[in-house]
Parts: sequence; C-alpha cells; structure tokens
Amino acid sequence: MKRSWIIIGISMSLILGGMLSASMAADTIKIGFHAPQTGFAASDGKSATIGAELAVEQINAAGGVLDKKLELVVYDDQAKPAQAIPIANKLIGQDKVAVGISGSYSGATRSAAGVFQEAEIPYIAAYAIHPDITRAGNYVFRTSFLGEVEGRAGAKLVGDLLKKKKVVIITLQNDFGKSLAAGFKNAAKKFGVTVINEYQYSIKDRQFGAIVAKVKADKPEAIYASGYFFTAGPLVSQLRAAGVTVPVIGQEGYDSQNFIEIAGKASEGVIITTSLDRDSKVPETRDFITAFEKKAGFKVDMVAASGHTAVKVAAAAIAKAGSTDPAKIRDALAAIKLQVSTGTIQFNALGEVMKAVQVQVVKDGNWHHFAVIDDPDLLKPPAR
Amino acid sequence: MTHRWRAVQTYPETIYSMLWFELLIQGIIHGSMYAIIAVGLSLVYGLLRILHVAHAGLFTLGGYLGLLLTNATGSLILATPVAAAVVGVIGMIIYRVCYHPILDQPPYVALIASIGLFIAMEEIYRLIFGPYGLSYARPPLQFQVQFFGIQLRAAEVGMVVVSTVLLTALSYLSQKTRLGIAWRATVDDPQMAASFGIDAVRVRYLNFFIGSALAAVGGIYVSLLSNLVEPTMGGVPSYKALAIIVLGGLGNLKGTLIAALLLGIVEAFGTIYIGQWLDRDAIAFALLIVILMIRPQGLFAGR
Repeated sequence: MKRSWIIIGISMSLILGGMLSASMAADTIKIGFHAPQTGFAASDGKSATIGAELAVEQINAAGGVLDKKLELVVYDDQAKPAQAIPIANKLIGQDKVAVGISGSYSGATRSAAGVFQEAEIPYIAAYAIHPDITRAGNYVFRTSFLGEVEGRAGAKLVGDLLKKKKVVIITLQNDFGKSLAAGFKNAAKKFGVTVINEYQYSIKDRQFGAIVAKVKADKPEAIYASGYFFTAGPLVSQLRAAGVTVPVIGQEGYDSQNFIEIAGKASEGVIITTSLDRDSKVPETRDFITAFEKKAGFKVDMVAASGHTAVKVAAAAIAKAGSTDPAKIRDALAAIKLQVSTGTIQFNALGEVMKAVQVQVVKDGNWHHFAVIDDPDLLKPPAR
Repeated sequence: MTHRWRAVQTYPETIYSMLWFELLIQGIIHGSMYAIIAVGLSLVYGLLRILHVAHAGLFTLGGYLGLLLTNATGSLILATPVAAAVVGVIGMIIYRVCYHPILDQPPYVALIASIGLFIAMEEIYRLIFGPYGLSYARPPLQFQVQFFGIQLRAAEVGMVVVSTVLLTALSYLSQKTRLGIAWRATVDDPQMAASFGIDAVRVRYLNFFIGSALAAVGGIYVSLLSNLVEPTMGGVPSYKALAIIVLGGLGNLKGTLIAALLLGIVEAFGTIYIGQWLDRDAIAFALLIVILMIRPQGLFAGR
C-alpha cells in the first residue's frame, strides 16, 4: 500500500515536471541532438555533445536566434541504429525540434535521417560519414567529409605531398574504414601510388601483432591506416615497437589528444587528414578551441568541432529563414555559406559539405598544422 | 635496447618462414593472453556449472587497478599483485552476492545474472573512470627485445612469461597441495568431498579468488600491450573465452590451455591469410564450429 503511494507521488511529480518543461519550451527554439553517451562510442559522443552545448551557449550569450533562446535536447543513442529511430520520433513528435542534429556514428545517423526526412524536418549529420545519409532526401545535410572524399585527400597526401609510392593499407572493418580505403584506392593511381597490400581489422581489435609482422615483411614506403584513436593508438605504438619506421597516415578518427596519450612517443610524426586546424589563424576556429578547452577541461578534438559546427550552421539557417518553418530552414541550409570552426560551410545539391581538408601532424605531443588540401575537383562530393 | 635474448640474425627478412615464425610468436603471445583469462572461467564452470560472463568485467577491473596503481606508485611490480589480490576478493564478493543465492536455480538464471552484472560493470567503469579510456603515464615494459631475429616488446615477452609461470603454479597447486586436492575432489564429486570434511563453500571462494586474480593479471598485461584501458575492453575476451572453454571441453583445464594457444595461433595466421573474408573475431567461432563438428565433446572431454 505504502509503495503504491510512493509510485503515485513519483509519477505526479514527473507529470508536473513534464508540464513545467513544456510550458517553458514555448519561448525557446529547440534543436534535437542525439549522440552516444554510453557504450563503446561514448567518448566521441561526449566530445560532440560538449561542442554542441558550447555553440548553444555562445549563440544564447549573443542574444539567441529570432529573439528566442536556443535549447539543445540531447538523447543517448548508444551509436545504435535501433535506438536512433525512437529518439528521432521523440525529437520530432514530442520535443518538436526545429532542426535535428546527429553527433553520432553512421549507423545511428542513417536510421534517424530517414525519420527526419519523412517528417520533413531539417537534419544535419555532424561527423557521420556514410554516403547514404544525405541520400535519405533533401532535408538531410552533412557538415563533415564523406569517407570517400577524405580517402582521396589521403591519397594526395601520400603520393603528392609526401612523395611515397608503395603503400600498405590497414582498414578498419566498418563503413568508416571501408569508405576511406575505397576513396584512397580510387585516387591512388592519379598520384602514382601503388597499394601493395591491404589488411582489415575489427573495431574491437587492440592487438595487431600479426598485421604488424606482415607489414614489416611487405616493406612499404608508407602506411595508410584507418581507425579511431582507440584502435589507431595501439596500432601505431605496436608498429613502431616492432621497428616499422615509415610514415603512418591516418584520418579524422585519430583526431584526439587521446591518440597521442595512448601511442606516446610513437605518435610523433603521424599525419592525418581532418577538419580541424589546431594552428588556425581564423578567429572562429581560434575562439572555438579556446572556449572548448575551457569548458570541457580537456583538449579539443574533431568531433567536438563537428558538434559545434552543426549547431552553428543550424542556428544560422533558422536566423536566415526568419522562422521555424521547416521548409524555410531547409532552403536556408541549402543556400548557406558560413565561416565556422571547421572551415567555410556550404552544401552541394545533395547536402554534402564542400570545404578544405586540414592536414595535421603530431609534433612534441600535440597536433599541429601540416598542410591544407583545397582541391575542389579532388574533394568533390557526389551530387546525387 | 637490451639484447638478452639475442640470437644470430641469419635469416633474410623476405623469406616466408621468417614471417611464419613471427606469426607463430604473435599467436603464442595472444594465446597466453586468452589462456590466463579463460582459465578462471573454466575453473568456475568446472566447479559450479555457471558460465561466468562477468569474469571479463574483472579482467577490465584488473586493467584499471593495475594502471592506476602503476601511475600512482611508478611500480608495475608492486601494482600487479595488489591489483590481482583486490580483484580476487571482488571475485569472491561476486560469488557471494550474485551466484551463491541462486545456485539451486537452473543454470540459465546464473547466466542471465552474470550477463547483467557484466553490462553493469562496464557502465560503472565508464561512470567512474570516464568514457575515454586511461593510458599509462609512463608505460612500463615498452623497451625492445630481440628474440631469434624478431623485434618484440618486453610487455609481449612478459605476457607469455607471466602467464606460463602463473598457470604452472596453478597446476602445481592443484596437483601437489592439500588445498588443490580438496579442490579437485570437490569438482569431481561435491557430496563425497563434503563427506570427507571438505568445506565446499571455502573451495568455491578459493576458486573465484584464483580465477579473478588471474584475469586481473591478464587485464594488466593486455593494457600494457595497447597502453589503453577502456570500459569495454572486456567485450572481446568475454565471448572469446567462452568459445575457448567450449573448445577445450567445458571445465577441462588442460583443454582450455591448449584451445587458448590454438586459437591465438590460428587467429594470427588467419588475420593475414583469410582476414579479407573473415573477421578475426569470427575466426574463433569458425574454429569452434569446425572442431565441434569433428569432436562434439571439445578437444578434450569435459567434466
């Protein structure tokens, strides 16, 4: 008996709480955000969420959008497609967000993209790389590179900038790794690069002894290895420990201070393609890096910048549309040209971003500027 | 750096036998890692018929404690036994709190409890230690060692040495000491052992202590190899160790060790020669299916 009263009490307070937040919601503009807060991808999700929260704080401090404050509605999708669909429905149906943003991986983002397209609510993928995401329809945009595009930039980096011609590819067996490898191989010939071997590993692998032994026997001039900091850190340190000294080329998955902490000295000289320039002179990027590190208490990374970018783009589109009408926001997004922390954002017909690729290198335990690849032909995303 | 294992370097590196030898060594390193994890699981199954999935959570905890203690004291030699002992005690607590009350239930009840506990442990680690994973401030055992012309890291050699020493000690303990004989008697026939005055509950505590402490040591050495301890690092061992104990004949310790080494070696070669078609983690289960088709009882008959 007593217990049932407690339950009634709790549910009453929940309902009241819900009504309270609903009544407060009237004078804010909501932006939906789903990212992994738990599970294997929680570290990336956390960075992306802090980046997005920072953008909301900055926008609100500057007076908000359309004279209203922005409100970020965050859900944990555990980077799982099955979680993303109910979350997308909740963001649209219950929270009535003006724009949805994915701070998640490709699987979850693909699922949610379909739901947002169906409801005709604008949706932005902050750093998910799968090509099918924007193909969900005309309401879906992406502010980061396609894996394919970044892979092509990797081939230019290896063959043209570093002048290395014999390459071994080590591919992470998921859509991220595979599309990077595909892009790299497509552009390899153009830069005179021969791929002498390719090996694959799963996202759970941390021990690469066998692959390292084989790479050593292959004697490549450079290694193009896709992965995230938690796979690339062990991989690079194991390569160096086994005496492999040739350049290791990575991509935005490496882009975290954690990579340098894990690989230690072995990380020195590792070069990656990414979307954040640590040594940038651009005020938007400089200010973001300073503000993020102050807010988060740890060093900035690519996913943080991507979360930040997506919110800034969404807010600018709402402001330009002059209303929260989804169709007007969509049109504003399609026509946007905005300088943000990860470069100048503008979209092609498919909603894919067109911007320069930043090349960073590890020097003295930090990421630093190495080069910029700004070759519109090479970096051209598919338009359909 | 040091050349204690240095041998004459006569092989030209392009010869395939050299690569095969290197893959074999990598296989043995991985096999030792699997062995030290799977033995605890095998011990628990042998005694209680429980598939102790949460064992992999203790492996992760070992990694965390070893890393935190090493970072705090600067001494891996000090950190390893302390971490192993703490994790051993936590293993005993898990038995008391989680398994002891449901021993009279069907085995799947304990299995479900164990899976639930494992997921809870992963999320607790994430809450306490953060989602990013931790790294050693100055990772120990990273210097290089020459072994018959192969360049290895000391941590890799350490993995094999520590695993061999501990498992030999365990074998000695179970064969030659009163305690070990009591333990084996309880595994064979709990009622008969009890009638000879052996305290079955004490045997179970001992069992969990040893198994968990071994898993902790495994966790520490694995984290030395990757310089990374993360909440989910028990994920792969959790199911691979299950495959290993099934392969070895459930509850059979000798079988478990051989299956662990076999899997390590097959994976090392498989990653290179069939990795394009078959994920490394799938190799374990492909091997499991093939062997169970030929020998349904596992490599060695179980208990």
